[in-house]
Amino acid sequence: MATNQMQKPAAGVRLSDESFITVFMVGILVLVFALASLFVPNFSTAKNIFNLVTNNWFVIVLGVGVTLVLITGNFDMSVGGNIALTGVLSVYFVQGVNVSQNTLANGLGLPYVVAIGLALLCAVGVGAINAFFIAKLKVPSIIVTLGTMMLARGAAKVITQGAQRNTSLPDIFGWLGSLSIPGTSIRLPVLVMISLIILAYIFEKKTVFARRIYLIGANPEAARLSGINVAKYLTALYLVSGLLAGITGILLASEYKAGVSSRAMGYEFDALVIALLGGVSINGGFGSVLGMFVGAIILSVVTSAATGLLLSPDWQFTLKAIVTFIAILSQRYALDRRKA
Amino acid sequence: MKPTENVLEIRNLVKDFPGVRAVDDVSFDIKRNTVHCLVGENGAGKSTLIKILTGVYERTSGQILLNGEEHDPQNPRDAKQKGISTLFQELNVVDQLTVEENLSLGVEETTFGFLRRTDKTNQMVSVMNSIEPSIKPGQLVSTLSVAKKQIVEIARAVAAESNIIIMDEPTAAISESEIARLFTIIRSLRENNVTVIYISHRLDEIFEIGDNVTVMRDGGHIATKPVAEIEDRSELIRMMIGKTVFEHYMPRDDISPDLILQVKNLSNHRLNDISFDVKAGEVVGFYGLVGAGKTELARAIFGADHCDGEILFKGEKLRANPEKSIAAGIALVPEERRTQGLFTILTIRGNVPVMNMSKISRSGFINAAKERTVAQEYVEKLNIATNSIEKEAAKLSGGNQQKVVLSKCLFADADLLMLDEPTRGIDVGAKSEIYSLIRQLSNEGKTIIIFSSELPEIMNICDSIHLLYDGSLKSTLRNGLDVDSEYILHVVTGGD
Repeated sequence: MATNQMQKPAAGVRLSDESFITVFMVGILVLVFALASLFVPNFSTAKNIFNLVTNNWFVIVLGVGVTLVLITGNFDMSVGGNIALTGVLSVYFVQGVNVSQNTLANGLGLPYVVAIGLALLCAVGVGAINAFFIAKLKVPSIIVTLGTMMLARGAAKVITQGAQRNTSLPDIFGWLGSLSIPGTSIRLPVLVMISLIILAYIFEKKTVFARRIYLIGANPEAARLSGINVAKYLTALYLVSGLLAGITGILLASEYKAGVSSRAMGYEFDALVIALLGGVSINGGFGSVLGMFVGAIILSVVTSAATGLLLSPDWQFTLKAIVTFIAILSQRYALDRRKA
Repeated sequence: MKPTENVLEIRNLVKDFPGVRAVDDVSFDIKRNTVHCLVGENGAGKSTLIKILTGVYERTSGQILLNGEEHDPQNPRDAKQKGISTLFQELNVVDQLTVEENLSLGVEETTFGFLRRTDKTNQMVSVMNSIEPSIKPGQLVSTLSVAKKQIVEIARAVAAESNIIIMDEPTAAISESEIARLFTIIRSLRENNVTVIYISHRLDEIFEIGDNVTVMRDGGHIATKPVAEIEDRSELIRMMIGKTVFEHYMPRDDISPDLILQVKNLSNHRLNDISFDVKAGEVVGFYGLVGAGKTELARAIFGADHCDGEILFKGEKLRANPEKSIAAGIALVPEERRTQGLFTILTIRGNVPVMNMSKISRSGFINAAKERTVAQEYVEKLNIATNSIEKEAAKLSGGNQQKVVLSKCLFADADLLMLDEPTRGIDVGAKSEIYSLIRQLSNEGKTIIIFSSELPEIMNICDSIHLLYDGSLKSTLRNGLDVDSEYILHVVTGGD
């Protein structure tokens, strides 16, 4: 083994393309961060860095599911709508029965734990609808998940009459959203985010399950002929993505003590953008959750720097677009150079 | 300009691909306004020759004279402008457009960006009309049969004033009456100053429609003669296979009588009631021409495509899906290695273990060291030319890619290995390596089924040979010295 290593040092030492892209994007992140620190006062303080990493926990949590689905060569655009639906349902389930003239204050009066369980079940249910159409009926995922995105959002609108539910909630409802590690400002959602990133990292590098996800994305037909049950894997991933959206929805509802039907508008696109920024291939078969995480931080640095520079919020979208373009182009360039 | 007697003169044409000479010093003439047939086994060099004529490939050396002038098309469009149109097996019509739109495709004229109906279009429509009045210009092409789509393409070629139309297996997918109609059209083309180069595996058609025939074999030119001077099919077949003495493989006589695979009444849209048995440890070959149903049969047995009938493997009924087949001990090397066999964007290391992940993992976690060892082991065992197991599969040569696909299937530890066109498009060296590998596997007790459209391949390595024609199993014979290759070609070209 040792002699083997000496003969072919390149084989063992060489980074995989996924790791290479992640390292490359970390380089870009450092660059962007250094620039921002030069021009924006107090940018490189510990507190600000902490905020940069944690403020967008919800997009990152979604990004984990979206990235894994994207690696199979599919999309999940339903996550934003699913957040709204789950949040609204978790409120509706615990609101008291017939407590008010206002219909928006009346719910099912279920215990908190039951309400959360049911809401999560609905979130996974949205994933199950996705899985049924995509894995079983082979409908293109972009179509199906745009459909369920509107289905979930639509249900949330109906339940809240197009607005939100925030009254007659038991005190315990806000508990999850405000929970934090004693003596620190690390809240539960951030913990969820960090544990997911670590778990996903181990999962995608080490497990047979994850390896098969990459195989499906790289060549679905060859995967099938190699004995991989493609439908089973797609189904599992859409259920996971639905579950993660559900968890996000419940945490956000708890934090704001409200179920808002317009919550998380456009988050599905944000999750997709950070995955692409992190080097995940839109054609599938390539990318990593860690890369997505780096992509998220880059976007967060840029947005935050723009605010710091007192750039009008109207410009933020344009700025995001420019950074996304530059980052993705340079990434393609670097990868092509490396492969040539 | 006085028209030359020969519309095309091919002189010492050579085309080399890496490791293989596909067209080897070919010279012959094609007479003006004739139907000139081109025959030969798969791999004889017909398609390569056609692709040089139509500007798809660049020749290595030699000369082509078109109407007495040097012909060196840079691309298919260029060839078309010089008067050579081609009807490929995969028809080049757009289903979602109307007949008229298809006819004017590529030659549209516009006013302010809007399509304009021009004299050219009108002329095309009238050509169309004279060939086949039942096709209406406003009809969507998707509503036409394959035969009528062909006619639309012919009309387009005629309207483009092509004086040579090449037809590649035009009758492969159309019915008897449509064939008759096509032949009428071909004859009228000939009377209207068009030379037709006709490629077909169906030898009877050569006698029916051809004026002259050129036979090719192993890239070389064997003969060009008037069809009238050829006695019968068997003379043609003799020319196609030549006096080549196949390196006959002596079938093993120690094969156990135990049946490992029993296929009963297998049918689907391409297969017609196929039944056969395979003994454990046997090497079985399925031979047939393109479109005979070899790939369909392989996929049906493997469970990749739907089929009716019963398949027993080791006495137990197979569940029709690849996952279950692999678990039962069957592996398939698919026909198209790049799209069906290989994960091209992954490394060799990533490809080799995919059909048997449990062997390199424990409770769902991959043992990376084991994975590398396995990949390294197969790179050495199959002599895959690469400097590292981390090389992307896309960057390997065809032969090495095929070896990676084979590694994948070998690692699956299957008892029955099915190989669909195992040596297609790979160089001679890799080919013989794969043959010796197959023999070695057979000696180790594996059962192997080979699906191939190359007869020497089948005769080289198989114990028994099944002949397929048009989705049916026509004949089964035992390999050996007495195997009559003429008889085989007779059967697979549709003879009784």
